[in-house]
Amino acid sequence: MRNKFLIGFFLIVLFGSATAQEFVLPELEGFKKTTNYPVFGPENLWDFINGAADTYLAYGFVDLHVAEYKKGKNVIKLEIYRHSDNTMAFGIYSTERSPSFRFMNLGAQGYIADGAINFFKGNYYVKIRTYSKSEKTLQSTESLALRVANMLEGGSEMPAVLSKFPEIGRKMNEETYINESVLGHKFLNKAYKAIYEIGSDNFSIFIMENSSTEEARKSVEAYLAATGIDAVESGSGKYMLKDGYNGTVFLAWKDNLIVIISGLSKDQTEIADRYTSEILK
Amino acid sequence: MKSINRRGFLKTGITGAAGIVALSPSLVSAVESSVQEKNTIYRTLGKTGLKVPVISFGVMRSDNANLCKAAYEKGIKLFDTANGYLNGNSETMLGNLLKDYPRNSFFLATKVKPVGVDREGKPTDQTTVEAFLEKFNTSLSRLKMDYVDILYVHDIRNPEMLEYKPIINAVKKLKKDGKIKFMGFSTHANEPVVINAAAATDTWDVILTSYNFKQTYISELNSAIKKANEAGIGIVAMKTMAGGGFLDKEKTKPINSTAALKWALSNPDVHTTIPGMTDFDQLDLNVKILADISITDEEKKDLMIASAETGLYCTGCTKCITACPMNLPVPDLMRAYMYAYGYSNPAMAYSLLGELGTTDNPCKECNTCKVNCTKNFNIKEKIADISRLVNVPADFLA
Repeated sequence: MRNKFLIGFFLIVLFGSATAQEFVLPELEGFKKTTNYPVFGPENLWDFINGAADTYLAYGFVDLHVAEYKKGKNVIKLEIYRHSDNTMAFGIYSTERSPSFRFMNLGAQGYIADGAINFFKGNYYVKIRTYSKSEKTLQSTESLALRVANMLEGGSEMPAVLSKFPEIGRKMNEETYINESVLGHKFLNKAYKAIYEIGSDNFSIFIMENSSTEEARKSVEAYLAATGIDAVESGSGKYMLKDGYNGTVFLAWKDNLIVIISGLSKDQTEIADRYTSEILK
Repeated sequence: MKSINRRGFLKTGITGAAGIVALSPSLVSAVESSVQEKNTIYRTLGKTGLKVPVISFGVMRSDNANLCKAAYEKGIKLFDTANGYLNGNSETMLGNLLKDYPRNSFFLATKVKPVGVDREGKPTDQTTVEAFLEKFNTSLSRLKMDYVDILYVHDIRNPEMLEYKPIINAVKKLKKDGKIKFMGFSTHANEPVVINAAAATDTWDVILTSYNFKQTYISELNSAIKKANEAGIGIVAMKTMAGGGFLDKEKTKPINSTAALKWALSNPDVHTTIPGMTDFDQLDLNVKILADISITDEEKKDLMIASAETGLYCTGCTKCITACPMNLPVPDLMRAYMYAYGYSNPAMAYSLLGELGTTDNPCKECNTCKVNCTKNFNIKEKIADISRLVNVPADFLA
């Protein structure tokens, strides 16, 4: 017992207190599992996915476990990306999602597309891929996805903020989370985005849930200041901005919530008002 | 070049809290098309003959097409994406945007990675032409284009792949059929060897290579790039920020991105660069470089400071192996060190040490270390440190 305590003390001194979640990747009947890849971290994710790494790093990438399952010429590749929290896992998942995919009940949400099964659960974004056309291998891919989903810790719910988006005109499965530089502005961060189509009108709604009213006010102030306005009312406000890069932008905020609408023209204030009012009610 | 001031570009109308009221439109547009095209520095992309501005756009994100639109209107003409970026959403966004512009007013490059290439970069029996072409055709469809200007075979790190006829011949046929204008490859590892091999053939039109001020093998890389340029191959630089824009994991030490880009362009054999851009401030900074690539003293100082940062990541140059009188697998031991301290994963480090047969401090017989690490790692100290782990019982780490 004493020895174990000493070893524990030694390890804490040696490596610090941060630990990654350890897990044993599941077996797959009939396939040989190999895990010859290192656990990739932020320093060397480029070695594995090249330029795509930038986006993963922007979404709080922590580490990546990779395994291959082989049966003859059929190969299934499993990649488990761990991100800093559930919002970030949804963020990276949503940037790679397309509404044309076949969605399935896997983790919080998943889909199948051309031999790939991707899903997210808790802090994890999981990608499973085969280039085999064999029906049996495709079935094994689904089986592996289920096992991984059951193995991983974390909630299986979609982010709660998504329920704030009004239903009318909303394009399903096109919601995303943008961690940095919303609308290309460095001073706007951490927004959920949904896309709307009503008749011939297409527009985007962004919801930013801040930790406090003060934080929300500061973000609003930053955007307005960039347009030459210094004063911001306390607690709430509605504005129509002419953003030279993004065109007409409607911004409304109340307490800790900010709503931004982009894509409507300046004579569509009624639509903007209706949507912002519903979100901020 | 006229300076670009955000406050001058964002104009607003304001209302009270009661409702939204439209006010007068903006007086100034953010996207000035007067980028002084005449001042923009162009370089010819090798034998392709394409005249490209020194700054191009590495398009990763897809959430704001207005960023790409602004880049186009400010004078950036080459957009670089890949079949795999955002699972294709990057290509889809670019396709939706660029369909509204004259096809001869921009250049589009995309990358397709052959399926089933192993970790050494060699093709396997999964590396089929059918899978490669399926991916390429998907890319064309997403991009809504009849052709792309440059198709890169993505991520070549082994010269053997340059000789892999099934893929090479398929790309040549795409060129003959007019679906691509020029053929190239991207390389992120073992670049000098791969580029030298490519320069010795007349197959390739363009090479997209990692190129930055922190690469420890820069003299070999410069030599290879020079040879490729002399062979008429266009050179596009990527990863100019040395991987991520920050020197540390905590993102407290940003790299001077302007200095890093100018450093890359100080090599005349590099024809353009493809920085990733995610906000308009970054875009504005990079647009300034379009007309001015001279490095200031302050920028040189920033690069010197950044170069001195070693980090934890061993580049795997392998020069240490021959220098070590004990023939230790130093790069692998450095990897174990990174697992332990960088990833806080002692189990992984322990497992690797076991595979390497490490039983005790292998450096204890040497008084002084003969290895001069190209990253200035203190090899003896790090090996002595990490090898202590082998004395910890395995079940404690499981």
